[in-house]
Amino acid sequence: MRMDRKKLGTILVVVSVVLILMTVYLAVFFAPLPQTGVKSAGEILSSVEGSKLKVAGFVSAVYSIHFGMLDGPDEVIFSLADFRDYGRYLQANATHSLNQQWWTVRPIDIKSISGGLNPRMGPNLGGVIVVGANLSMDGIVTSNTIAPNSNVTGFSLSSGSGNDITFGSVGSFGLMTAPVAQKIFYFHMPSAWACYLSFGVTLVGSALFLRTRDHKYDRVAYSSAEIGIVFATIAITTGPVWARQEWGVYWRWDDMKLVTTFVLWLVYIGYLSLRAAISEPSAKARVSAVYGILSFITVPMSFLSSRVAPLLQSSHPQVIATSSGSLSPQAGMTIGIAVVAFTVLFITMLIKRVEIAEAEEELEELKRKIGDEE
Amino acid sequence: MRAALIIAAKDLKVELRSKEMLSAMFLFSLLIVLAFRFGFSNAVNSGAVGLPELASSALWICFSFAAILGMYTSFAKEKDRETLDGLLLAPVDRSDLYLGKALSNLIVVFFVDLLSIAFFALFFSFDYGGQALAVVALALLGSVTLVLVGTLVAAISVNTRAREALLPILLIPLIAFSVIVPSVTATKNAMVGGIGDSVQQIESVAAFAAIFAVLGYLTFDFVLEG
Repeated sequence: MRMDRKKLGTILVVVSVVLILMTVYLAVFFAPLPQTGVKSAGEILSSVEGSKLKVAGFVSAVYSIHFGMLDGPDEVIFSLADFRDYGRYLQANATHSLNQQWWTVRPIDIKSISGGLNPRMGPNLGGVIVVGANLSMDGIVTSNTIAPNSNVTGFSLSSGSGNDITFGSVGSFGLMTAPVAQKIFYFHMPSAWACYLSFGVTLVGSALFLRTRDHKYDRVAYSSAEIGIVFATIAITTGPVWARQEWGVYWRWDDMKLVTTFVLWLVYIGYLSLRAAISEPSAKARVSAVYGILSFITVPMSFLSSRVAPLLQSSHPQVIATSSGSLSPQAGMTIGIAVVAFTVLFITMLIKRVEIAEAEEELEELKRKIGDEE
Repeated sequence: MRAALIIAAKDLKVELRSKEMLSAMFLFSLLIVLAFRFGFSNAVNSGAVGLPELASSALWICFSFAAILGMYTSFAKEKDRETLDGLLLAPVDRSDLYLGKALSNLIVVFFVDLLSIAFFALFFSFDYGGQALAVVALALLGSVTLVLVGTLVAAISVNTRAREALLPILLIPLIAFSVIVPSVTATKNAMVGGIGDSVQQIESVAAFAAIFAVLGYLTFDFVLEG
């Protein structure tokens, strides 16, 4: 039986190594970089005609233009960029590090008739557009005068009270390719999944331990928590690598997904500190099982934070928030294999960690026996 | 349930006689509000930080830390005087013990909340402007959630070696999003006049109170056993 388990362990190690290598290969050479971030006016026009759009960001530039008729009113055009932080934008602009980054390179131009600014454009504006001010507007796409995918010049977003918001020319917000750091997604998302899974196993192990008082469940619970912390650490360190490229910053404290995941990590660090602070084995198992159950509430909090965002005031960088784009088939396949790879890796690590825990306990037992004989 | 009330009454009686916890928490909350007064004096005087924003955050930091201190003491005291064993020998359900402890903690914590709210008005010359009742109600709601999870975690930490250091480590991450973040938002909304904007936050705090109550009720037994 023991021999079989050892064999199984070896097979699992080999399988998980192969799967991880496969994921690396697929992520690097197979999955294409998605065309994300900015959509062309034609694409948006055909897909969201009549639907609701939200534009949000800060005003990066304001200029006044006189169009068409000589006696017509001046129009104010302002560019909206999404950083929510004007100081950071200026800094990035000064160091020329804005290339190929989120919206700031090619901001949306929003046109408005001068003098008649919609008060809904921002509570602090008071009718004047201030550079650096945060703006967010909801509206319904109304213009359908331009054929989809043609060389359109723009479309307008009806904001509900007369002033249409006009998006600039195609050139000012064309299709953009995600930064190459996007590939880290194939490791980021599966490790987040693996950490949720590990903490789920900790929950089940803790509950079973309290029910049966069988220490094998306690071993599974804390082994799984340790592995979960490893995966959570991978998830919260790979995220910033991507975020630096995509958002221009490593971390956003206003994004609830990031913050709740960080808290999740802290809670399970707390779980391990709790175990370290109790010496008596049965009390350690009992008390930490209760905390292991309690800690699990942070898992749905982290998992759901991007879904129930309004409750938690999430402000993910979505200048145009429509339904999320779906993955290409190649990317879908890669992420599928990556999830399988990380799941197998988790199972392998769990089996190995439980074996170590058993060996440790056996050693303690032997030490005690020797002590008794002397 | 009756047992829970008796335990809470016993705790409060002990507290009223010694006033140990109350006096410590009173000074503690006074000092936290003062620390904010000194620490933020430039920001407040120059108007860089709005008082409602500062008040909501400062109050909740104050409530949380004072509650941690109080809940820790309520168990540490029993443990140190070896009265915890007596309490465990009492022929009552452990779950009632949990409810009783939570109730007595809530009363003490809420009393300190009221003091902090008053201290804030005093030191920052802040006028709650008719919203004081809403702020108090939110403090009570948040404290219920805080105490329900805190009592359980305090009982967990009292069993450990580094118990006073461990309680904040174990508790703060759990209350960060269940109590502090939504309560701060709701309190700020209430101060600028619209408690109606915070329905979601209030619902969320109340939902966590229910979750923690159920978890505490079911698992408290295991924490204090043996």
